[in-house]
Amino acid sequence: MRELKNENSLADTPAGNANEINELLRRYGVKFGIYKNGVFNEQFFPFDPIPRVISAEHFAVIEKGLIQRVTALNMFLYDIYHEKRIIKDNIIPEDFIYMSSGYLPQCEGIMPPKNIYSHISGIDLVQGKDGKWYILEDNLRIPSGASYPLIARELTRVASPKIFSDNPIADNRNYASLLKDTLDFSNCGGINAILTPGRCNAAYFEHSYLAELTESVLVQNHELFVENNILYHKTYSGEKNKVGTLYRRISDEYLDPLTFIPQSLIGIPNIMEAYRCGNIAIINAIGNGVADDKGIYYFVPKMIKYYLNEEPMLSNAPTYLPFYEKDKKYILDHIDKLVIKDVSESGGYGVTFGKELSKEKLQEFKSVITNEPRRFIAQEIIDFLELPIMDGEKAVMRKADLRAFVLSGESTRVWSSGLTRFSRNPDSFVVNSSQGGGFKDTWVLSQ
Amino acid sequence: MKKLHFSFSTKLTFDDNVYNHSFALRCIPINNSTQSILNYDLEIKPFVSTKLTMDAFGNNVISGYIQEKHRYLDFDINGTAQIDSTIKTNDYLPCYLYQSKYTKPNDELKAFYNDIANQCRLFTPADRAAYFSQKLFDCMTYEKNITNTQTEASDAFKIKKGVCQDYSHIMLSLLRIDKIPCRYIAGLSSCAGETHSWIEFWDGNGWIGLDPANNCFVTDDYLILTQGRDFMDCSIDRGVMFGSYTRQMQLITSTLEQQ
Repeated sequence: MRELKNENSLADTPAGNANEINELLRRYGVKFGIYKNGVFNEQFFPFDPIPRVISAEHFAVIEKGLIQRVTALNMFLYDIYHEKRIIKDNIIPEDFIYMSSGYLPQCEGIMPPKNIYSHISGIDLVQGKDGKWYILEDNLRIPSGASYPLIARELTRVASPKIFSDNPIADNRNYASLLKDTLDFSNCGGINAILTPGRCNAAYFEHSYLAELTESVLVQNHELFVENNILYHKTYSGEKNKVGTLYRRISDEYLDPLTFIPQSLIGIPNIMEAYRCGNIAIINAIGNGVADDKGIYYFVPKMIKYYLNEEPMLSNAPTYLPFYEKDKKYILDHIDKLVIKDVSESGGYGVTFGKELSKEKLQEFKSVITNEPRRFIAQEIIDFLELPIMDGEKAVMRKADLRAFVLSGESTRVWSSGLTRFSRNPDSFVVNSSQGGGFKDTWVLSQ
Repeated sequence: MKKLHFSFSTKLTFDDNVYNHSFALRCIPINNSTQSILNYDLEIKPFVSTKLTMDAFGNNVISGYIQEKHRYLDFDINGTAQIDSTIKTNDYLPCYLYQSKYTKPNDELKAFYNDIANQCRLFTPADRAAYFSQKLFDCMTYEKNITNTQTEASDAFKIKKGVCQDYSHIMLSLLRIDKIPCRYIAGLSSCAGETHSWIEFWDGNGWIGLDPANNCFVTDDYLILTQGRDFMDCSIDRGVMFGSYTRQMQLITSTLEQQ
């Protein structure tokens, strides 16, 4: 008999298995690597056993909103590297595009296979105390993290199988087939390969896990070469196989030493020429950084209206751009209530809370903002919902966000799960795994 | 209008065997309304199958991959071009208005700009560009072997010495602060034995060539090989290869003569 009273009662059940599951995660090598002060450290990404539960009704809203958002972002990327209508029509000032470090003029005019730019989008959301969801950030380059809830679910299922048979929790094992469909749909003829920079990468565990799940070949750059504008994989036995889709887990600027950073040791020379000729799908497309720039974030709701002629279903956190005089004045007057983000940083770096600065630091920071307005955005601090996490024997409340995964192939679909990250520090709003946070599984109810 | 014969050759030799050698050559001159390439002949040794593509800046890219061990790579191009610098090209990219890796000004260069821009009473892009070029020419000394291909505008300006590449980068930096779109050009001119560099600026409806190292406008005696934001986009020869200990030596010769 299935009885589900409210979202929280369900959440209490698997808490007793925390140690067991963390032990299993350790054994499986589910790790997260961090570079700090030039030293590479691998650390476990602590799993909290109390899942975040999202009702079917809530998730339906999120799902529609995310599909709308990612559809508009894909149209924006095409537009920027081709007609640039959104600039000509004065929706986005051109400085925000061309001064963004993510905009790569080398990609001008290139049409990615099937005209898809962001195949795998990781959209970060938070739920306000009023229950409303806000978009915090779009990650359209190499969003990582899908493997963590996948494997945690697998282990929880082993530890407490009854929970899943007795409750209407949407199965999240379909991430493998969603991802495989996405890789297959853009494939230009040949194998699917996942390119990893190697063991010392923060997400190496994920690269190998996803390769296994999607039956892709896990490769490093020295196994690949471009000949006659075709990308090949060289096997140990010396066979050469054409690669049709490359799900690369290295960033744009290292991808082709003959187009981008010449000193890159992890790239594939001339892959850009193969890409330009339409012989290889690169997932995600090169040059996506222009769309997930923190400065561009401000304009995403405008993009949705512009390209789709629809009202955005999900809201941004209220954001101000010092680039605009009116906003700058507001920011300087209310800086103690705002969080200021450096647009060129990511992973929780370059985030400043006005209220945490001393008087002198605040003055200093204000003049930096005045002198370099294009470098920052300012946001109202959303009082977002706290979730229970286990701290020893007892549950405590901590800030948490949600990274939802949106996959674009033949159609755009949202994975009915996601990575819930939480801050272990009770006073902190920063939940990034590179800042020492932990994660939870995300249960989307199927009814 | 002039008809010019051009030749350009590079001999690259390695101390020891190299293999898995990928290269991208941008040595085929651009074919546009200013310069039409009537014919050309490109020879690459050792023999390798190559492909020709065009990059986002409009450059011809010859790419190839030599898997086998080899100790040299030579390429040789010669052909005929018809040049008429009175006809402007107008292939525009918005990035030409923005500073790029090599052209980012430091405080010293910004101060220099403020100084000369304050004195400048001219308005058209062509007049301003000529004015800046003169001011730059007055304070720089052309000197070889002081700077290298990694030298950025700010570094060269600090020592007030350099070669055509450095003059071009500083000029681009000044023009971009002045909000005049401009681009880097690598090519051949009748007065230089190797490759030469100059710049083009946008006058509102087309590109005009200016040679800051010689402080003059470009005439029919210049042949464009590549164009882009700065040197980075315009390398005539880029390659990646494997080998244990390989020093390389490169010998470049070029000619450009009226037919």
